[in-house]
Amino acid sequence: MLGKSKKNESGKVVSPDRPAESKGTAFISSSTAREEKTIIGEHIFIEGSIRGEENLEIEGSMKGSIDLGKHNFRVGPNGQVEGEINARNVSVSGEFKGNIKSHEKVEVTREADFYGEIKANSISIEDGAYIKGVIELDREPNRKSSGAQKPIATAAPETGKAPGATSPGDKKET
Amino acid sequence: MATSITPDHRDPNAALPPASYTSEILELFLGPLIRLGDGQMLDVGPVCEENIMFFASRLRRHYVCDMFLRLIREQSVARHSRNAWRHLDYPARFFDGIHLWDLCDHLDDKKVSQLVELCLSMLQPGGLLMLTAFEKPSPSARVNSFIIKPDYRMRFRVQPHLNLSWHCRHNRALISILTGFSIVKSLRYRNGIREILLKKPLSIS
Repeated sequence: MLGKSKKNESGKVVSPDRPAESKGTAFISSSTAREEKTIIGEHIFIEGSIRGEENLEIEGSMKGSIDLGKHNFRVGPNGQVEGEINARNVSVSGEFKGNIKSHEKVEVTREADFYGEIKANSISIEDGAYIKGVIELDREPNRKSSGAQKPIATAAPETGKAPGATSPGDKKET
Repeated sequence: MATSITPDHRDPNAALPPASYTSEILELFLGPLIRLGDGQMLDVGPVCEENIMFFASRLRRHYVCDMFLRLIREQSVARHSRNAWRHLDYPARFFDGIHLWDLCDHLDDKKVSQLVELCLSMLQPGGLLMLTAFEKPSPSARVNSFIIKPDYRMRFRVQPHLNLSWHCRHNRALISILTGFSIVKSLRYRNGIREILLKKPLSIS
């Protein structure tokens, strides 16, 4: 935010006094506690790559790659991010275009404008989220078979009763 | 020919939201895609976490493009909506299955024809299209998202932010628009839900 400083949860000032632009590689401080979060202010534009060992939230603009390993990443409501994300949990409330690889969960809120690919263990998407993308959930071997617990006799039968039908009279063929 | 009902001219005596039901057609639609192993499916919305989890946990890659929200956005930026189908810019013969939940109910005949043609292009030969349509509008003609339970039981959740008009179509009118596809199975449930499973003929590349 122009002329203001933002503080993270542990009070760390993360936004400069004036707008800044960065090209190249930005390294987020790794000397802080686990719960700490760095916020990139909304008047900051970064192009390049970010690697870090703490949580990161972007309210500004970022184009490039972000690798936070076991830490969390968030695109705030005013944030605009384009690129590749690798983090533990990822939350998108702003604009995002690119690929997300999360080791745990990806959350897309109703304010989000998401365009890209998500690879995660689980996903949380609010009704109203503007999404165009591909979802790929990590599947354990036994999880893959869960969808095929009730195999269908024929791929596309022309007639006849299918498994899993509702009670008699619940429907009729048209 | 479709009759249009806008949410602003709602029928106060309109029926309550349809009760839950078990979707036989959905199981027929999804089964072959699961068996493919790497089957690719497109869902055009409305966005619903439960469904994304349902499909994505069964298919390797699940594609989502919420056309309901895109139609709303198009309407808000232009009096006459632009070609919203540009968002469905997937390659030809890309998908093994496309799921159209209730979308056709909110499009005029011309737009349904465009959408059907596009689906025909995006599907592999032999690919499946599942279409769901309400026989009568839900209260206030609002859009419901559907929530799929693991046993293919379907429930509904009203999406008040999706303020789209509703076009009433009888079965014959609906099927007449679905040109190019062959009908695999069509069911009408007591709650007024109609489900149609269609297949792109192998002869169409």
